Amino acid sequence: MTYRKLPSGVQDILPDECRCLMQIKARLQHKFTACGFEPVASAALEYYDTYSEIKNRVPQERMFKCTDTDGKLLVLRPDTTLSISRIAAAKPGVSPARLYYFSDKWDMQSAGGISNREIYQAGVECLGEEGVFSDAQAIAFAVECLKEAGLKNFVLDIGHVGYFKGLLEGSGLSEEDAEAVRAYVNAKDGLNAERILRRAGADENLLNNVLALPALFGGAEVLDAAPLPENEGARAAIAHLKALNGLLVKMGYEKYICFDLGTVRKLSYYSGVVFTALVKELGAAVLSGGRYDNLADDFGAHIPAVGFAIGLKRLLIALERQGNLPEARPLDCVVVSEEGAEEVAYRAFQRMAGEGKRVRLCAACGIEAAKREKAKGQTVLFAQRDGLKEI
Amino acid sequence: MIYFALAKGRLGSESAALLDRCGVDVSALKEDTRKLVLKSADGKYGFFLVKPSDVPIYVEAGVADVGIAGKDTLLEENRDLYEMLDLKIGACSLCIAGDPARRDLLTNPHLRVATKYVNTAKRVFAERGEEIEIIPLHGSIELAPVTGLSDVIFDVVQTGSTLKANGLAVLEEVYAGITARLVVNKVSLKTNPAVTALIARMKEAIA
Repeated sequence: MTYRKLPSGVQDILPDECRCLMQIKARLQHKFTACGFEPVASAALEYYDTYSEIKNRVPQERMFKCTDTDGKLLVLRPDTTLSISRIAAAKPGVSPARLYYFSDKWDMQSAGGISNREIYQAGVECLGEEGVFSDAQAIAFAVECLKEAGLKNFVLDIGHVGYFKGLLEGSGLSEEDAEAVRAYVNAKDGLNAERILRRAGADENLLNNVLALPALFGGAEVLDAAPLPENEGARAAIAHLKALNGLLVKMGYEKYICFDLGTVRKLSYYSGVVFTALVKELGAAVLSGGRYDNLADDFGAHIPAVGFAIGLKRLLIALERQGNLPEARPLDCVVVSEEGAEEVAYRAFQRMAGEGKRVRLCAACGIEAAKREKAKGQTVLFAQRDGLKEI
Repeated sequence: MIYFALAKGRLGSESAALLDRCGVDVSALKEDTRKLVLKSADGKYGFFLVKPSDVPIYVEAGVADVGIAGKDTLLEENRDLYEMLDLKIGACSLCIAGDPARRDLLTNPHLRVATKYVNTAKRVFAERGEEIEIIPLHGSIELAPVTGLSDVIFDVVQTGSTLKANGLAVLEEVYAGITARLVVNKVSLKTNPAVTALIARMKEAIA
């Protein structure tokens, strides 16, 4: 008895959907290539230790594991940015580079809904570059890629991890309390953030600064509204975002960007600017990225970098809800052979496909087969010994 | 246009009253109907009436922009959404309750806990390093210790009258201050200006 089911959280992609996915992929690949990015592919199987012993380790409950023949623990690639960072640090001559990939990653604990456990992404990594222009071009490129894919009415929501980090620096908060405050601020739950801060005896200054965070989202005006603490890191983060905003406005992206200083994601390798692309039709981000200057340090080289990944399944859902899925390319014709004229049919099929037509060769022969194709609404070419004839 | 996910039942009625005070046309909610999707006459608001524990699910997915859910539900569901306002309605607490004469059960190495808050109970007891057996139930939780199905229950307590009527008492208050919260989808907050305006009005109304 064949077992026909799939495990939870993974899907087969059937032809209609897969066709859309491939068309979007082709558009993105064209964009990546045109903009000077080179492709890269990392191995899907890696050592468990690669991801469990680094500073930004992947929680073990999120990784799919199996055992190698020598007893070593292997995992299915849990994060493509980590893989590419490892490649850039470990293989000579890779960095600096602008790379793109189309790749699956696997997450044991994705929650279901639009979060699968096998996640197909398109992404880019700009390795070995830093500075505000590098960030600005990455964000602008993210916008261009989504436009190229056909998405409309989206915004890039931009934050900076340095601001929150800076606010908490020197506050004397325990690691546990700091993590709790981060989680509450990220959920815009000011009440509970305040409860933890008060219990930890935080001073009024810190309290006010942290409690201002959940409301600090919107246009570039939030950068002026953000309280400026003594901390240098927090000040630098705001200055960086202002410069970034200035560049993006000049580059023509004002209508695509907004800011949120209260976005402080969990356990992240990001070190500077972070951004997500939001679209009304989908309750979750279609793209997320940011700057990760210290990630490659874990793999033995310092390579400042910025990048982003697009969840292709999510992008597809958003496009579908906007009524914007790519159109299928119809067949130009179907070639059906008369019995005994197979080689005529095959040569005609080969020639037309070579000329760039979209043509299918029918395996069944005879006039009845030709009529069946005709009944499906196709243009049918019937191949006989003395040539082709449209039916 | 704002879509709300509202709980059916008491919390739903209290939520509707609060929204009414904030200038939301909730007359559609007062109709006696079995419809689950309701729209206000001015076309500005849509309402989904769902099981209380499903509110966060609708909001996380973005099917609803905004929802009103009890903190107990939010703790249990642990969804990725913005929890923006304490609406201060439906106040209760999450407690461990049982036979007051059998407090010794709490130190039972294999405490049997009946609850509909399975995830929260697991987390609470795991944080204390206690191994427990969870008996998942969907209603009339108080019946479990009375019939010997469980040693204690982990449940919300509002007035305590159901506990008392069944000879039970609160043994420990685990989370005080469980109230209804305004939850908002992470994308709606950034892409739907009507949502930010509503939040500002609600903030004023509850202040």
